Amino acid sequence: MSFWLTLGGMVAVTFGSRYAGLALRADLPDFWVRFLHFVPIAVFASLVTPSLEGNQSEWGIRVTAAALAAVAAWRTCQLWVAVAVGMGVFWLLRIPF
Amino acid sequence: MARADTNTAFARGFWILAPLWLGVIPFGLAYAVSARSAGLSLLQTQALSALVFAGSAQLSAVGLLAAGAAGIEIVLTTLLLNVRHVLYGLSLGRELRLTRRERPVAAFFLTDEAFGVVAAAGERSFPFLLGAELSLFMMWNLATLGGFLLGAAIPDPEQLGVDLIFPLAFLALVVPLVRTRAELLVALTSGALAFGLARVLPGGLPILLTGIGGSLLGAFLTCGTPADRSIHPDDAAREVA
Repeated sequence: MSFWLTLGGMVAVTFGSRYAGLALRADLPDFWVRFLHFVPIAVFASLVTPSLEGNQSEWGIRVTAAALAAVAAWRTCQLWVAVAVGMGVFWLLRIPF
Repeated sequence: MARADTNTAFARGFWILAPLWLGVIPFGLAYAVSARSAGLSLLQTQALSALVFAGSAQLSAVGLLAAGAAGIEIVLTTLLLNVRHVLYGLSLGRELRLTRRERPVAAFFLTDEAFGVVAAAGERSFPFLLGAELSLFMMWNLATLGGFLLGAAIPDPEQLGVDLIFPLAFLALVVPLVRTRAELLVALTSGALAFGLARVLPGGLPILLTGIGGSLLGAFLTCGTPADRSIHPDDAAREVA
């Protein structure tokens, strides 16, 4: 029983967070419109750096792979190309020579 | 005609996130294996994936359950990990005109990645968003089922290195969004701030704090320039993803 109660709580806070922003439809002042323009940039950047490092002391090759993926993203603007380049470089560099 | 447009927008959204399946599948498997070893039944394991649908929160919940944590601790951790979605909703709500019926559906399946492709791509429609959302939802739930049934015979995602796919994907999404000096400064500052915060704070909190801090910085930096109030602002980033 307590598992399902916990699950219910998890669903409530997760759905609540996801719905709250979408449901709020107000005419915002200029400052907050500009604030929201920067949300994707700030959030995406913050999703990159902490998990770039990994736990296996491979940060050198992971950062190299990410740098080349960034160049690929800049040149092609294709999500899958950037991911393919990054993972390709990462797996190649991982091969012990 | 309108129907065909809807279907293709849905399909574009669905397939645009297909490269991420390579990352989603091992994590779904890893989650299911952890859930099973924490003593959850198949129904419980699958219910978390179907109803909560938040990878990091599910993994933490399973870890907390295994450690014998109280329900309220698990719910609060979940809130901490997922409250960043409020920002996504606020941002999406401006980009996308959703009807009252579409809103709860869009909210239920919302993820970092689905928000990412809609915010970064020029395509801002409900079918496109839903396609992207269900692409991950389907894979996450299939991987959960597979992981529970296959049990311990699953390689560790970090061992394969596929955990790198997620930061790479967000890197690919942020790069085309950066065109002005203010945007570059916000991206670099946010990256550095999140890196620092992640060493001292748990889970989704660094993302939330950085999301607020970085966006405030951007809003201050652009003081004096008029805000772009159009639904489809810019985009050289239109072709991303």
